[in-house]
Amino acid sequence: MTTLDQTEELAVPRVAEGHPAPSRRRLGDNWWRHLVAIIAVLVSVFPAVYVVSSAFNADQSIGGASIIPRSFTLDNFKQLFNPPSDKSETNYPRWFLNSIFVATFTAFFTVMLGALAAYAFSRFRFKGRRMGMLFLLLIQMFPQLLMLVALYLIVLRTGEVFPALGLNHLLALMLVYLGGVMGVNVWLMKGFFDSIPSELDESARVDGATPSQIFWGVILPLAAPVLAVVGLFSFVGVFNEFAIASVLLEVKDQRTLPLGLQIFIDQQYGERWGPFAAGVLIAAIPAVLLFAYLQKFIVSGLTRGSVKG
Amino acid sequence: MSDTTADHPPLEYRPSKLARGIAAFSGTTGRALKLVALALVNALTLWAVTQLFSDDRALWGLITLGAVVALDLIYLLPGAIPAKFIAPGTIFLIAYLLIPIFFTVSTAFQIYSTGHVLSKSEAIKAIKVQSLQPTGVSYLLAPARDASGDLVLLLVNEDTKTEYVGTRKGLTELPKGTLSVDDQGVVTTASPDYKLITGAELFTLDRELAAYLVPTEGDAAIQPQGTASAAELKPTLAYDPVADTFQNIDSGVVFRDNGKGSYVAADGTEIEPGWRTYIGWDNITAVFRDPLVRDPFLRVLLWTIVFAFGAVFFSFAIGLFLAIALEKPGLRFRRLYRSLLVIPYAIPGFLMLLVWAGLLNDDFGVVNKLLPGGLDRPWLFDPFWAKVSVIMVTTWLTVPYFMLVSMGALQSIPGELVEAAKVDGASRLQVFRKVTLPLLMIVVAPLLIASFAFNFNNFNNIYLLTAGGPAAEDQSVAGSTDILISYTYKLAFQAGKGQDYGLASAVSIFVFLIVATISGIAFWRTKALEGVR
Repeated sequence: MTTLDQTEELAVPRVAEGHPAPSRRRLGDNWWRHLVAIIAVLVSVFPAVYVVSSAFNADQSIGGASIIPRSFTLDNFKQLFNPPSDKSETNYPRWFLNSIFVATFTAFFTVMLGALAAYAFSRFRFKGRRMGMLFLLLIQMFPQLLMLVALYLIVLRTGEVFPALGLNHLLALMLVYLGGVMGVNVWLMKGFFDSIPSELDESARVDGATPSQIFWGVILPLAAPVLAVVGLFSFVGVFNEFAIASVLLEVKDQRTLPLGLQIFIDQQYGERWGPFAAGVLIAAIPAVLLFAYLQKFIVSGLTRGSVKG
Repeated sequence: MSDTTADHPPLEYRPSKLARGIAAFSGTTGRALKLVALALVNALTLWAVTQLFSDDRALWGLITLGAVVALDLIYLLPGAIPAKFIAPGTIFLIAYLLIPIFFTVSTAFQIYSTGHVLSKSEAIKAIKVQSLQPTGVSYLLAPARDASGDLVLLLVNEDTKTEYVGTRKGLTELPKGTLSVDDQGVVTTASPDYKLITGAELFTLDRELAAYLVPTEGDAAIQPQGTASAAELKPTLAYDPVADTFQNIDSGVVFRDNGKGSYVAADGTEIEPGWRTYIGWDNITAVFRDPLVRDPFLRVLLWTIVFAFGAVFFSFAIGLFLAIALEKPGLRFRRLYRSLLVIPYAIPGFLMLLVWAGLLNDDFGVVNKLLPGGLDRPWLFDPFWAKVSVIMVTTWLTVPYFMLVSMGALQSIPGELVEAAKVDGASRLQVFRKVTLPLLMIVVAPLLIASFAFNFNNFNNIYLLTAGGPAAEDQSVAGSTDILISYTYKLAFQAGKGQDYGLASAVSIFVFLIVATISGIAFWRTKALEGVR
């Protein structure tokens, strides 16, 4: 190892001088980096690859499936969408649409409500502004998960008077999620809004624009990257959420994907692995596409959010 | 956001079509739209308020009314511009965050569990209904409307064949022959005073009939049993509203309010159901005193800390190691490696958790098949290995996050510092420990704390992988991989040993206090609050 270390140290200044050695020669120094990376890649892609292969594999049971499908089939997908009648607890298409609907709605309003508040905190100086920001930071420590019982009881009782806001209604679930909007989202957006030069507002104001015109016309279009990141995190967060949804939604057709798939596969790996894998594959698509599309924002957003608190 | 903040947007403002389209809505059109929206909100809320008042929830009606008045003031008065922007989010914050916090605290001080879910007045009603026992007198029944259109019961005593009309006021005997009974036992009448209810109308009366009582002698009453027969029922318990006691009519035993949501006799017999009521600190102190609650709580708390710490430690260690391994300019396939390594982060977590639960399964799991002989384990069904699995899978899910974060942080460390240390003769390990790591920690420390706090309440990773199982030795609700939040969930919503909302709320207050303490120390240490401008 010592010899390797020495060559490594010798290699560094050359890079710094801007004369990278030809990569063929450098493979020798970097063999351990490749080894580590390849092992890590194998571990991280293995479950996903296995799911893809199971989804198209004719052998439905989990143990029987090999990584490379011996026979290609779409039966698992067909079975997922048209389950035999004895699996009446299944309604995958409905769960998928429920999840997409709830996540999209929540993400949209999270961005809107958060941006409105962040604009006020960023552009106006008013009494209680600092207190407000600190309060939002404090409120961050109360995740809604800790109030599961209270949320359940509130929705239960609201439903006694207004059924549409009660148990087993997606609208109730979405409103509950919106309760968690104010907090870190507002901080993140305020931080970004602060970095938009206020000269832009000034010139718009000189031209006679109202605060709301400045918000919609100037700030929002320029803040697209942070809106995208907040929207994505909100979408994925809601898409993943299990506990609150499981307490508020009890009927089959109102379930979201986490609830539906959990009940679908619960200890039935033997019989249902194939259709389950097909379901996982389809469910992963929206979030993975969004992630790929917004990747460059996310990576910088992660570290930026941290520094800003 | 380096790529967006570095090149500042051009100072000359040219609105896009979309922006101009949106902006059009905030002029006169916008004002009109705003008024329409506000009017809609007002109409909806006022309707809601009337509903609340007619449903005996005047307090909530008043609160809703106050909220809508406040909204009107904010949006109709010219000043208070910041409030106009903050109000929409704040409504949801109050309704589904602040009120729930208040409810959680309030529930923690109540006995509120299986058998104690009703309010006291509902419980008294329920006890009265449950205490009704048939006296043995039964009637054939035909619902009808009298001359004024009110619902009455035409009744024929099955034994004596005496004919009656029953109203909510009482039972009146009818002249013999007013009613007749056909072969199938159906009551009919030829009397013009009564119009029989038949067909579809009968079905709509289901509920009204079930609640219809015709008082007879004493406390007894005749109640319809379906639409064609009725029975005389007599209470076995008598309620005394002044003394707030129930008395058994036959034996004379008195049941008193025990202050803990039940009517209890001197010998300890309780009447079901009880009701929810404030009991003071019992739930809170149970967490300290009652060994049935305290011991599982402490065991779960300890494991929660081990789990959260373990998950963060391994995720960060591996993530940082990968970042260092890949953080070499000109390394071949670097981008490819990175894209493949973030896959666990890009796929929604719940999917991969359910998949891992399958992969680690004893009988079907692929992990045991792939491992060389002798290394297979009961990954999810043995208390120790289940704990290992939970930390392992959480690490698998979290490594990409810390890898990305570490990559970003490593790039922000000035190269001169590392160079200077090397010139001074520091070994690679020394450079890492004395230069790279401390600088890295400035950026990463808050994220480590945040990640710890997140994993402290990482419900999904426990519940979707092991559901908290396998069962622990103490046979409590809490399994051996349950963390505090999933323990709370089980206390409140898993029927096995009855649901206990009160205790669950008390436990969640403790969880909050623990998380708040950790976050408080963290904020204090990192001085994040200084940046509040």
